[in-house]
Amino acid sequence: MRILVVEDEVDLLTSLAKALREEGYAVDTSGDGEEGLYKAESWEYDAIVLDIMLPKLDGWEILQRLRKTKKTPILMLTARDASRDRVRGLDTGADDYLVKPFDLAELLARLRALIRRSANQTRSKIEIGDVTIDTAAKNISHKGHPVSLTAREYSLLEFLSLHRGEVVTRTTLYEHLFDEDDSSLSNLLDVHVSNIRKKIGPDFITTRRGHGYCIEG
Amino acid sequence: MFFKSIRFRLQLWYGAILLVVLSGFGFTAYQLERAREFRNLDAELHRRVSALTSALRPPPRDRGPGERPLGPPPLDEGRPDGPRDRSGPRPFRDGPPEDFPPRPREFILPPQQARLFEGTETNAFYFVLWSRDGKELSRSAAVPADLSESERNGASRTPEIRLRGTLREILLATPSGEIILIGRSAATELADLRRVKWRFLAVGSIVAAFGLAGGWWIATRAIQPVQEISATAVKIAAGDLSQRINVADTDSELGQLARVLNSTFARLDAAFAQQTRFTADAAHELRTPISVMLTQTQTALTRERNPAEYRETIEACQRATQRMRRLIESLLALARLDAGQEIILRERFDLADTARECIDSITPLASERGIKFECDLAPTEYDGDAEQIAQVITNLLTNAIHYNKDKGRVSVSTKEEGDAAVLTVTDTGQGISTDDLPHIFERFFRAEKSRSSGRNGLGLAISKAIIEKHGGMIDVSSEAGQGAEFIVRLPRFSGDSGARK
Repeated sequence: MRILVVEDEVDLLTSLAKALREEGYAVDTSGDGEEGLYKAESWEYDAIVLDIMLPKLDGWEILQRLRKTKKTPILMLTARDASRDRVRGLDTGADDYLVKPFDLAELLARLRALIRRSANQTRSKIEIGDVTIDTAAKNISHKGHPVSLTAREYSLLEFLSLHRGEVVTRTTLYEHLFDEDDSSLSNLLDVHVSNIRKKIGPDFITTRRGHGYCIEG
Repeated sequence: MFFKSIRFRLQLWYGAILLVVLSGFGFTAYQLERAREFRNLDAELHRRVSALTSALRPPPRDRGPGERPLGPPPLDEGRPDGPRDRSGPRPFRDGPPEDFPPRPREFILPPQQARLFEGTETNAFYFVLWSRDGKELSRSAAVPADLSESERNGASRTPEIRLRGTLREILLATPSGEIILIGRSAATELADLRRVKWRFLAVGSIVAAFGLAGGWWIATRAIQPVQEISATAVKIAAGDLSQRINVADTDSELGQLARVLNSTFARLDAAFAQQTRFTADAAHELRTPISVMLTQTQTALTRERNPAEYRETIEACQRATQRMRRLIESLLALARLDAGQEIILRERFDLADTARECIDSITPLASERGIKFECDLAPTEYDGDAEQIAQVITNLLTNAIHYNKDKGRVSVSTKEEGDAAVLTVTDTGQGISTDDLPHIFERFFRAEKSRSSGRNGLGLAISKAIIEKHGGMIDVSSEAGQGAEFIVRLPRFSGDSGARK
């Protein structure tokens, strides 16, 4: 899962990015509106955390322009809690709204819900065959036994499960699992897939030669 | 409540005045009508009096008729103060003269005069004639049956007209001592007068009713704007400051009052809105550092960290706390300036020295970006609070550096201009846009909509408050791309400075 955080308060931005990365997200950051919009338009993010008061281009403007081309889930972040602002944000196309100061746990839960909803998933637990994926606790179990995965292995599995039945290309996977600063090679994906297969069986993830990977619904 | 209302009191006064005017008018009109009503009858009565008296007059002798004898009345002929003694047996005011020839016991009215008293119907004229010793000499046919002897009492030589019950009568003592009573029933006149009286009462009541209704209407109309004003004031008191009085009639006294109140309400509204915005802005400004601290600490606490990570977190928290401290200090400074609690120290100092000190302390900040100061500091004495003025200068210099381009210049000058000490700070930055220029001294106003600069948007507001407290002015001029020039003009109070030398 890859997330963009647009926030001009540096200390807030770094701690948010850090917290999100520790949750297993690939995180891109931007300190001003222009750069934020550029990144949001250039990449397929799973969610965007967007501050309203930004230099160069404010949050409203980004929201308005981005909604012309993208449906990326957006969580607005602002210090203003007037309901007029909340209504405006939601009406302009924001998917959720959080007032500063916020609890980190709440922000993370809301982000999970946003990502889940955008994949048409309503529950935080996904069950596919013998495998149960708990997106809230970020762990999986196979036939009732917990399986230990690395953060990236988990992210890969979660992404494929949220898009089960679809063939997910290697490029898409790469874009959603690695942030802009990550220089990992894309064949790292194959290593992760093979590790997952070792842990929960070889048939859970199928390979479509020349296309990508898929978890059959 | 109702009885104390202005409307009721207006109505009460109005009603009372209307009543007095109406009853005065009605009374006068009734009296005139009454006099008119009796005038004909009285003329008729008088005509008959003269007819009767001429019939009674004795044949002419050497003394002229009607001439009163000059001799004193006989002792047994009553007292001169007869009229006051109405019960006395002698009704005559003046005793008849001794040499007056005696009247025949029966008096026959000549036919010519008798015609005047013909008829027996109730509205016929009648007369009674008494001799001077009280004997009835004659009476006409129409005399009412209940006429008693005592009616002749009180007769005098001047004809006395009276209304006895429904009878209009004239009582007269002739010079020769006879008493004449002539009368006629005034029933028709009295009935007419009663009708007139009722008509007057009816018309008066209608006029009064209309008048009172009209008065109530006028009072209501006059009070209506007051009620509108009070209704609006009630809404405003309840918290809806957007309410205004609808001023339809702008020139009346109430219209003027409404205008004055409206402008007061508008100022209240603006002040209130400004206060609300200020509070919201202040809360907003405090929220950002708090979210930094919250996110930083919560992230740090999710797992064990190494010392370097903890250090980073603590440093971030420290920055946030410093920012809150600066904000709170600024807010307190503003609150103190607003409350007018700070007494201005009037100490003599040289503006040039203060400016130089400020420049020295801020030079490291300027050097970071290669910004140079250009100083033109002429000695400028001023009596004021040097510390506060230094804060203003520092604010202006910080702004000039912050909004300057790299390797730019900041020009500072102090000089005396007439009776004022003048300080200017000019930068070579991007300037201030025309849209922003009017708002630049507003609290929490920032040309760039971001908080990252670490500036809280109160510096210029505080500077302005300080300068205005000193009785001075702070002004800005700028053209986009050409930098901005801030001018502080502090008038010097010559009397004050003279006293403190």
